[in-house]
Amino acid sequence: MPRHDVLVIGAGLAGQRAALAAAQTGVSVGIISKVHPVRSHSNAAQGGINAALNPDDSWESHAFDTIKGSDYLGDQDAIEIMCREAPEEIIHLEHLGVPFHRDDAGRLGTRAFGGASAARTYYVADITGQAIMHVLYEQLMKHSDSVDRYEEYFTTSLAIDDAGECVGAVTRNVRDGSMELFEAKNVILATGGNGQIWRPTTNALICTGDGIAMAYRVGAPLMDMEMIQYHPTTLAGKGFLITEGARGEGAHLLNAKGERFMERYAPNKMELASRDVVSRAEQTEINEGRGFEDGTVALDVTVVPKKRVHEALREIVLVGRDFAGVDITQEPIHIKPGNHYTMGGVKTDIHGATNVPGLYAAGEAACVSVHGGNRLGANSLLDTLIFGRRAGEHAANRAKRNDFGRVSRSILADEEAQIADLIGRERGAGRRISEIKLELGQTMDKHVAVFREKESIETALEVVKRLSEEAKSAYIDDKGTIFNQDVLGAIELGFMLDGAECTCLGALHREESRGAQFRTDFPERNDDEWLKHIDLTMNGDGPEISYSDVTITDWQPQERTY
Amino acid sequence: MRVTLNVWRQADAEAEGAFERYEDVEIDENASFLEMLDVLNDRLLTDGKKPIAFDHDCREGICGSCSLLIDDMPHGPRQVTSCQIYMRDFEDGQEITVEPFRATAFPVMRDLMVDRSPLDRIVESGGYVSVNAGPKPEPNSIPVHPEIQEAAMDAAICIGCGACVAACPNGSAMLYTGAKVTHLNLLPQGEPERFHRTRSMVRQHDDEGFGACTNTGECQQVCPQNISIKVIGELNREYRGAMIHKLRGRSGPLEAQ
Repeated sequence: MPRHDVLVIGAGLAGQRAALAAAQTGVSVGIISKVHPVRSHSNAAQGGINAALNPDDSWESHAFDTIKGSDYLGDQDAIEIMCREAPEEIIHLEHLGVPFHRDDAGRLGTRAFGGASAARTYYVADITGQAIMHVLYEQLMKHSDSVDRYEEYFTTSLAIDDAGECVGAVTRNVRDGSMELFEAKNVILATGGNGQIWRPTTNALICTGDGIAMAYRVGAPLMDMEMIQYHPTTLAGKGFLITEGARGEGAHLLNAKGERFMERYAPNKMELASRDVVSRAEQTEINEGRGFEDGTVALDVTVVPKKRVHEALREIVLVGRDFAGVDITQEPIHIKPGNHYTMGGVKTDIHGATNVPGLYAAGEAACVSVHGGNRLGANSLLDTLIFGRRAGEHAANRAKRNDFGRVSRSILADEEAQIADLIGRERGAGRRISEIKLELGQTMDKHVAVFREKESIETALEVVKRLSEEAKSAYIDDKGTIFNQDVLGAIELGFMLDGAECTCLGALHREESRGAQFRTDFPERNDDEWLKHIDLTMNGDGPEISYSDVTITDWQPQERTY
Repeated sequence: MRVTLNVWRQADAEAEGAFERYEDVEIDENASFLEMLDVLNDRLLTDGKKPIAFDHDCREGICGSCSLLIDDMPHGPRQVTSCQIYMRDFEDGQEITVEPFRATAFPVMRDLMVDRSPLDRIVESGGYVSVNAGPKPEPNSIPVHPEIQEAAMDAAICIGCGACVAACPNGSAMLYTGAKVTHLNLLPQGEPERFHRTRSMVRQHDDEGFGACTNTGECQQVCPQNISIKVIGELNREYRGAMIHKLRGRSGPLEAQ
């Protein structure tokens, strides 16, 4: 049985950063990933990473922008930490070899991003996530003596001892189908968001919210699950992302009449208002008949100088060419709001610790909460690194004080039995996994998206409950052991359905409009009643709803205009 | 449109593989190549057969997972990743051969999936910066000319898909290694370890069973990230410098590297 002081699950930016931070304190670290680490979805982060590094800028300004962006639902103590520690983290990355953009004088250059009062986004063209991830992976390789990598291991559940502490995890080796119990003093979940619940989404196929659901199942509360970001610029149909950097470089949004409609919604910031505001503006244009026939509006990149496009936006030139057949330097490209980011997640404190002792969460899987009701562009990479590091350090220190818990081997047998049951189901007895996933995705995108109201959320919730029942008898065709992606798909579906139910419940419960949650039946923000987090805890079979206070330090809620 | 596929099927690493023929796969011409495989898998599942295993994840050309040899071309006909190939890139009725990436150093694990971990071990041997200077010095105290930064980025853009290896008649990973070495060696933070890095990575490259570069240039023709063969020139120059540095530093005979 593999044994580690700190076991990290997920090897995107948060996971790798956590593993490195823990390893540097000298404890033994294991990192598990269901895919090869550099295939993780942090790769897809295009635009950049925020930090108030410039002498003219200040962390307070960055913090205020983040708080305002969050529609005052973000916890200000956590936001302060993130913004204060950001510059040092950027310098650290630069030292490790991330080739951040340099201006003509050879100094670090920045770009403007939505909802920010200064151009404080550091970037590597539009491959920022990829560039950081590959450099962190190099560092992980450098620490091969102290960090054991378990690549292509799928985690099916967390192990909890009699005292209620997290003491390990059960995994399935994707390469040969063998099941293994990992023993750990601490487990850090860095498994990312659950965008696959929606279809289309900008998220990769692996973003199924495994950690969010696993934590929920062992009694850790989830927080603000209704807060789901729809990114303003995704390609219709398949949901490919066009970076906010395009608007940062000056691209316009136009409706079918050619009007720059953001004038009416955010006269000051225009296209660079925060994402929830821009997505709602676009959806309003589309709903009121001023969009194109394919249910889109247009992003006009032709107003950006060509040299700048080729230097700073090269990836999206390719996306336009390959996936939409459009040369974005020549003509506007049709876009619409699309599912992008999970602001909610496993509730943690500022060290990444959850309510379950020994269990930590970081990155998109976690809800610290620094993003509150709406995440600002280029704050997610920052979140993964700052809170990944903090969770890694805190877990390592805890490991030095604690002994290994008692792991019951029965959990391994339970998981094996469940998978055997799954594989043993008769063909044709129920629905196929892929059908259920499709229905889930389309339902959520229709009913729990940019605009929501009671009836539509209830409809979605009913569908989710029915699908959860259907998933119990759904069958898979591949019964093999080697790279059996069917088995993983079935387990992931279970994780997705748990996440979907929590999102529906949160959305139904929060009877106001704040950040990404816009209720057409409650169109105003209501600070008197709803300036609080919604926590969901698994109690027996069902979720229990409770509330927690939003931490406010220096910034009192104000009206939010851009 | 309809196509006929010859797909490499192999149960596991030890099993002997063979092509299987799938006729009349009906597919929209605007579907992607991977969506076509999804449709074929659906048909196989309906017929009670094992689906074709292939690596894929983001399906937008970033993650570097997909790795198909389509009609003898790594990633197919258009110098993009396999997931960016569309059925409209083929003729109606065409017969298409699909294999895993072929290279001595990349063993097939199942069907169209290969083990690319030898690439990781090249990085593990020295492809990183090990100076941990903390928050100082402030990065702007060492200006980096934008041309240098861009050249480093053009190398750092590698997604590690391994198409360069599959395209090379020698199964060489010199484009990959060159990209990794160029990225770090060009930057000031990579400078102190450049010689050690270059020597170790080249040694590991050879130990993994990758072949040598003979300037065929196939690698840059298939690289979806458009990495230029210049990085191999850069690698050779760095390697020469590293060996001379080593020679000067010792009086004894030059060790075989």
